[in-house]
Amino acid sequence: MSTQDKRKPGQGQVETTGHLWDSDLAELNNPLPRWWLWGFYATIVFALVYWLLYPAWPIGDSFTKGIASVTYEVDGEERTTHWNTRALLARDMQFGDHAVRQREMLEQVSAQDYETILADADSMSFVNAYAQGSFGTWCAACHQVGGAGVVGLYPNLTNDHWKWGGSVDQIEHTIREGRLGYMPDYRNTLTGDQLDAVAAYVLSLNDYEMDADMVDAGQRIYQGMDGGCFQCHGADGGGLASQGAPNLTNNLWGLIDIRGAESDEARLRMVADLVHDGVQREMPGFSDRLSDDEIRMLTAYVHSLGGGQ
Amino acid sequence: MSQAATTAGAAPAASVATSEQYNYAIIKRFAVAAVLWGVFGMAAGVWIASQLAFPFLNFDIAQITFGRFRPVHTTAVIFGFGGNALFATSYYVVQRTCQARLWSDSMASFTFYGWNLALILGVITYMMGITQGREYAEFNWQIDLIILVVWVAYFMVYLMTLLRRNQPHIYVANWFFMAFILATALLHIFNNLEVPVGLFHPHSYPLFSGVQDAMRQWWYGHNAVGFFLTAAFLGMMYYFVPKQAGRPIYSYKLSIIHFWALVFLYMWVGAHHLHWTALPDWVSTLAATFSILLLLPSWGGMINGIMTLSGAWDKLRTDPIMLFLITALAFYGMSTFEGPMMSLKSVNALSHYTDWTVGHVHSGALGWVAMISFGSLYHLIPRLWNVNLYSVKLVYAHFFLATIGIVLYITAMWVAGIGQGLMLRAFDQYGNLAYTFSETVAFLHMPYVVRAVGGGFFLIGMLIMAFNIAMTIRSGIKAEAREAQAESAAPRTA
Repeated sequence: MSTQDKRKPGQGQVETTGHLWDSDLAELNNPLPRWWLWGFYATIVFALVYWLLYPAWPIGDSFTKGIASVTYEVDGEERTTHWNTRALLARDMQFGDHAVRQREMLEQVSAQDYETILADADSMSFVNAYAQGSFGTWCAACHQVGGAGVVGLYPNLTNDHWKWGGSVDQIEHTIREGRLGYMPDYRNTLTGDQLDAVAAYVLSLNDYEMDADMVDAGQRIYQGMDGGCFQCHGADGGGLASQGAPNLTNNLWGLIDIRGAESDEARLRMVADLVHDGVQREMPGFSDRLSDDEIRMLTAYVHSLGGGQ
Repeated sequence: MSQAATTAGAAPAASVATSEQYNYAIIKRFAVAAVLWGVFGMAAGVWIASQLAFPFLNFDIAQITFGRFRPVHTTAVIFGFGGNALFATSYYVVQRTCQARLWSDSMASFTFYGWNLALILGVITYMMGITQGREYAEFNWQIDLIILVVWVAYFMVYLMTLLRRNQPHIYVANWFFMAFILATALLHIFNNLEVPVGLFHPHSYPLFSGVQDAMRQWWYGHNAVGFFLTAAFLGMMYYFVPKQAGRPIYSYKLSIIHFWALVFLYMWVGAHHLHWTALPDWVSTLAATFSILLLLPSWGGMINGIMTLSGAWDKLRTDPIMLFLITALAFYGMSTFEGPMMSLKSVNALSHYTDWTVGHVHSGALGWVAMISFGSLYHLIPRLWNVNLYSVKLVYAHFFLATIGIVLYITAMWVAGIGQGLMLRAFDQYGNLAYTFSETVAFLHMPYVVRAVGGGFFLIGMLIMAFNIAMTIRSGIKAEAREAQAESAAPRTA
C-alpha cells in the first residue's frame, strides 16, 4: 500500500482487494487520504496538549493535575491550585468583572436607607436592574413578569392600590413574612336581598349609579352590626392596611373585574357573590429564602412599581 | 398504475431461488415494522414538539403530556423505527454477504416478536407513568429482561450465520453490525443493573447512586448513540451505498482503521454529557479529548461512503435513493463535527441544558439515521417483493420534504439553544444577570413553532413513504399471485 503513497490517489488507478461479495461488492485499496491522516494526528496533538494542561489521567487514588493553575482567595489568603472547576467558580465570584461590579453596587446601596435609595437615580437604576431578576425568579410566577398580577388571584403591584400598605416598611414586611388575607363568607349571615343591597352600596362608593333604596339598605347593613363591614373596611370604606382590608372607594378591584363588567347588574352580581363566598388568599414569606440585600432591592423595586405610599 | 422505473427503482433481478436460499420472510416483517414505527414515532415527535410551542395541547391528560410522551417518541423512533430497520438490513446483509441462510428461522422470528412486544409494553408503561427515568433506557426491569433475552437471540442468530458463511472473508458491513450487537448487549446489561422492589412491582432501585450512576447512564446514553445509532447504521451504509452506486468501496484500509478507532474511542466519551457537574474534572477532560479524537474516525465512514460514489456522481441526478444515502452521509459528517465541538468544556458551558443539544441529536437522528434508513429501505423493499417501486416521483417528494424539515428543525434549535445560552449568561452594566429564566422561555416560543413545522414536513415525508411502500408491496403480492397461477407447480431449484 505504501508504494502507492507517492502519487495522488484516485479511483481507477488502484486495484481492489480481490474479495467479492454478493456478486458485485468489492473494495478498492486506496491509501488513507492524507488530509484525513494529518487531521487525525492533529487531534492527537490537541489531546496531548489538553492532557498536559488540565487534570486528565487517573493514577491510583489520584490523577494527573496538569500545569494550568487557578489563583483565588480562601479566608482572605491567596491560594493557587491546579486548574479545577470549583476553584474557577470561586475565582470568578471573587474577581470576575461582573461579580466585582455587582458587589460594589450592592455595598453602595446597602449603606443607604430607603429614602436615599428611592431619591438617588443611580441607586434606583441598579435596584431596578437587580430586582427585575429576583422578581422574575421569585415573584413573577404569581404577580407576573411586569407585576400586573392576575385579577381574582394575585394582586396588581403596579397601581396605587395597596391592600397591606404601600410604605417601604409595610412592603418589606409583606415580602419577609408573607400575608394571609381573609374575609369571612356571608352565606349564612345575609339573605340574597341583603347581599345585593350591600353590593349596591359598595358600588355607589365608586360612583356607580345604583338604586337609591338598595344603597340605603346596604349602607345600614355595612355600617351596622348585621354586616359589620365597617370594622375592617372602615366607615368611609377607606380600608385598613393592618388587616389587608382594601379600600372600597377607589374603583381599583383586585378580585373581580368590575370595570370590565358588561352592566351595572353584572357588577352587582360580582360584588354580591364575593361577599357571599368570602375570601382567603395567602402569600408565602421569603425571609428564609432571600438574603437581606435581595429583600431590600425587591422592596424598593416593588415600591417604585406602583408609586408606593 | 405505477410510474416508469428509472435506475432508482430498477427491477431487481432476484429469482425465486434467492428467496428460498435466504430467509426473506423475516426481513419483510422487520421492514414493514420499521415503516409503521417510523410513522408512529415521528407523529409522536411532532405532537410533543407542538406541545412545547403550545402547552394547551396537552389537554390536561396525564398520559399524553410531554413528560410521559417524550420517551414514547424516543423509544418509537430509535428502537422502533431504527431498531426494526437495523434488524431488517442486518439480516439481509449478513445473508447476502455470507451467502448463507440465517442460522435459525425460529430464533429470528423470536427476535421479531420479542423486540416489538418489548417496545409496545414500553409505550404503554411510559404512558401509565412507569419509567426508570434513565434516558433511552426508560423500560422498567421486567421489560429490560425481555430485551436481554431477545438481544442474546439476535447475537446468536447473527454470529452463527457469520460462522456458516460461504465466503472466505467477512464483509465490512458485518464488522459494524457485530460491534453494534456486542456493545449494545454490554450497555444494556450494565446500565440496567438494579434491584427490583418486588417480583410483581414495576419499579427498581439502581445499583449505583449519585455521580457514579450519572456516569453509568451517560456511558450508556452516548454509546447508544455511538453503537446503536452510528456503528450499526454505518454497517447499513457499507452495504447499501456501494450496492446502489454500483461501485466498490473507496478504501479497504480506511474502513479497517476507522472501524477500530471508532469502536475504541466511543466508549470513553459519554462523560461529556456531564461537564460542569459533580463529575471529577479529570473525567471531564478525558471525555472531551476522546470526543475530539473521535472526529476523524467518524469522518472516515463519511469519506468512504461519499468517495465510493466518486466517478458516478451523475447518479445523484437520476436516483433519489442515492440522494438519500449521500445526504445522510453529509449530515453524518456535519453532526460528527458538531458533537466534538460541543463536548469541549467551554462550548458546552454555553450549549448544555439548551436546545442546541436537541438540535444536534436531531441532525444526527433525522439527517443521518433516518435518511440512511429511508434510502436503504427504498433499495431493500422492492428487492424483497421482487417488484419495482410504486413511484419514484414520490421518493423525490419524500426526499425534499425530509430535507426541508431537517433544515428547519436544526436551524430553529440553533437559534433556540445558542440564543437561550447567551441570554442565560448575559450581564447588564451593573454585573447583574440581564435576563430571568422566564424571559428565556418566552424567547423560545418562535423557534419551537418553527421546529414543530420542520417536524411536520419530516412526518409528511414519512407518510408519503409509508404509502409508496404499501403500494409497492401490494403490487408485489399481486404479481406473485399471478405468477403462481400462471406457472406450473413444479418446484424450481437454484
